[in-house]
Amino acid sequence: MNAIEIRNLRRVYRATIGTLRRHIREVVALDGISLEVRPGELFGLLGPNGAGKTTTVKILTTLLIPTGGQASILGFDVVGQADRVRPRIGFIFGGERGLYWRLSACDNLRYFADLYHMDPDRSRRRIDELLELVGLLGREDEKVEGYSRGMRQRLHVARALLHDPEVLFLDEPTMGLDPVGARELRQVIRDLKGQGKTIFLTTHYMFEADALCDRIAVINHGRIVALDTPERLKGYVRDLRVIELEVFGIAPPVIDQVRALPTVDAVSVEDFEQKQILLVQSPQGSELIPEILRLLDTARVGKVVVREPTLEDAYVRLVGGDRGLAQVD
Amino acid sequence: MNRSTLRAYLRVVATVFLLHLKMQAVDLFVVFTVLIQPLLIALLAIYIQRDKAPDIAIYLIVGSGMTGLWSGLLFTSSFAIRGERWYGTLEMLVGTPTPLGVVMIGKVLASVLLSLSSMVVGYLMAAALFRFTLYIMDLPGFLISLALTLLAFVTFGLVIAPFFALSPAVEGWVNALEFPVYVLGGFLFPILMLPGWSTPLSYMLSPYWAAQALHATSSGSGSVYPNFPVALDWAMLLLFSAIYIFLSGRLFGMVLRRAKIDATLGLQ
Repeated sequence: MNAIEIRNLRRVYRATIGTLRRHIREVVALDGISLEVRPGELFGLLGPNGAGKTTTVKILTTLLIPTGGQASILGFDVVGQADRVRPRIGFIFGGERGLYWRLSACDNLRYFADLYHMDPDRSRRRIDELLELVGLLGREDEKVEGYSRGMRQRLHVARALLHDPEVLFLDEPTMGLDPVGARELRQVIRDLKGQGKTIFLTTHYMFEADALCDRIAVINHGRIVALDTPERLKGYVRDLRVIELEVFGIAPPVIDQVRALPTVDAVSVEDFEQKQILLVQSPQGSELIPEILRLLDTARVGKVVVREPTLEDAYVRLVGGDRGLAQVD
Repeated sequence: MNRSTLRAYLRVVATVFLLHLKMQAVDLFVVFTVLIQPLLIALLAIYIQRDKAPDIAIYLIVGSGMTGLWSGLLFTSSFAIRGERWYGTLEMLVGTPTPLGVVMIGKVLASVLLSLSSMVVGYLMAAALFRFTLYIMDLPGFLISLALTLLAFVTFGLVIAPFFALSPAVEGWVNALEFPVYVLGGFLFPILMLPGWSTPLSYMLSPYWAAQALHATSSGSGSVYPNFPVALDWAMLLLFSAIYIFLSGRLFGMVLRRAKIDATLGLQ
C-alpha cells in the first residue's frame, strides 16, 4: 500500500469580485494531479509560487476539501476518513505562525500532546526527546514570543513529531530561515527519513530538493509537469549548456530579445542587490555568447561562465523559465 | 465515544482551560472587560442609587457582575475561533484528532469563570470601600442559580464562537450586542421599566433568566412567582442550555465544512 495516493485531484478557488455588480471568478489551483508516494520515501513537490503546492498539502492534511478527485493517506480517504488520517500525520507550514506566542515552548508542546490524545507520561518523555532533537532543550520554559524565527520553526518540527506520525508534510519548512538554521533543519529532515518516516516536502529551493528527495514532482499551474528522481530530472537538460552572465541593470525587453534567439531554450534571471545573473539555456554553449553580448550592449556585463546544467536548470526548463528567481539561499 | 476518548477529551478541556486562563489573565482587554468596566458600572450604579444603595447593594453588585459576565462571554467567545485563525493556530487545531468544539469548551469555560471575578471584586469593593452589609438571602438557591448561569453561559459561548466565525460580515455585530443585553437582561434594573414590546426579547435571552434567578436568590427581587421564586428561571436556563448544545454541534460542523470549502481556515 502506498503512503500517499492522489488521483485526478482538482481544486478550484472561487473569489467574488466587485461591490455592486458582483461576479465570481474561478481560479484553478490544482488541475487533476495524480501521484503516489511509497512508504519511507522522501518525496518533493517543487514549483513556483502559486503552482498548487500548498493547496496539495492542505488537502492531504484534511484542511481543505478538493473540488474533484481523490486522495488517501495510508489507505484512508482524506475527506471521508479524516478522523483516521489525522492521528497518522504530522504537518508543518512555513512561517512563524501557528504557535501560542504567550506560552512557553513546553506549554505549546504539552497542549498539542493532549490534542493528539497522548498519554501524559509518554508525552513528558517525548517532549524531552524532541526538545533535544530540535536543539531547544534548556530554552523550553521561555515564551515563544522571545524566540528567533529559526527556533520557532524548530518548535514547529517538534510539534509535528509529538505523536510520532507515520507520514510528515513539510510545506516550505526552511522558508525564511538563515542558512545555518536551514541547514540544521535539513539535517533533521534527513534524520527523520533515516527513521523510516514518509515525508512529503514542498519547496522552491532546488538544491534542497536535490539534496533531500528520493523523487521529485514538478508542479506548474496546477499540473504535474515532471515526476522523477533528481538525477533523471537533470537528464531533461543534459543536451543543453547553461551560460551564466553577471549583468548590472538589465532591462526586461532585452531579456525578451535574448529569449527570442533561435537556439535559446529558456532564460531566467536571478536578482541580487545590485546585479542580476542571467541564465541562458541553449544546446549551443559558448558559441552563443557573442550574440548575447551584442544584445546586452547597453548593460554592464561582468563574469560570463558556461557550465553543465543542474536540477535548477531542469526546473527552469520545465516551468517555462520566465521567472525571476529572487530568493537565493 | 469510548472511555479512553472521553478521558482524552476531558484532559484537553482541562489543559485548554488552564492555558487559556494563563493567557487571558495577562490580556489587558480582558482585564478591562471583566474587572475594570464592571467595577465602573457598579460605582456608577451605587452613585445613581445613593439614597437606596445600602439596601439594594447586593442587587447592584450582582447586576454589575452580570455585565462583566456577559461582556467577558461575548468578547472572548466571539474571538475564540477568529483568534485562532488570526494567530495561525486554527489549522493546527483542526488538523489534530480532537474536535474543535472540545477545545472551545475549555476556552469558554475559562473565560466564563474568569468573568465571574467581576462579581467577586464588586462584592469586595462594596463591602470594603462602602462598608455595605451584603447579605445573600438564599445562599443555596444562589449557588444553584450561579451554577445554572455558568452552564447557560458556557453553552451560549459555544454558540457564539462558531456563529461569529461563520462570516466576516457578522463580526461587526459583536460590539453592538454588549449594551442592549445589559438592558434587556434586566441586570441593573427590572425590565418592567422598559416598554412592553421589549419584554419578549428579554424572554429570548438566557442572560435575562440568569439575572432573574441570581437577583431573586440574592436580594429577593425580580421574581414574579412568589411560591417558587426561581423554578421557572432555573427551568428556562436548563432549556436554553439544551438548545445551545444542540445548536452548537450544528454550527461547529457548518463552520468547519464552510472553512474547508472556502479555504478560510488559515486566513488572517
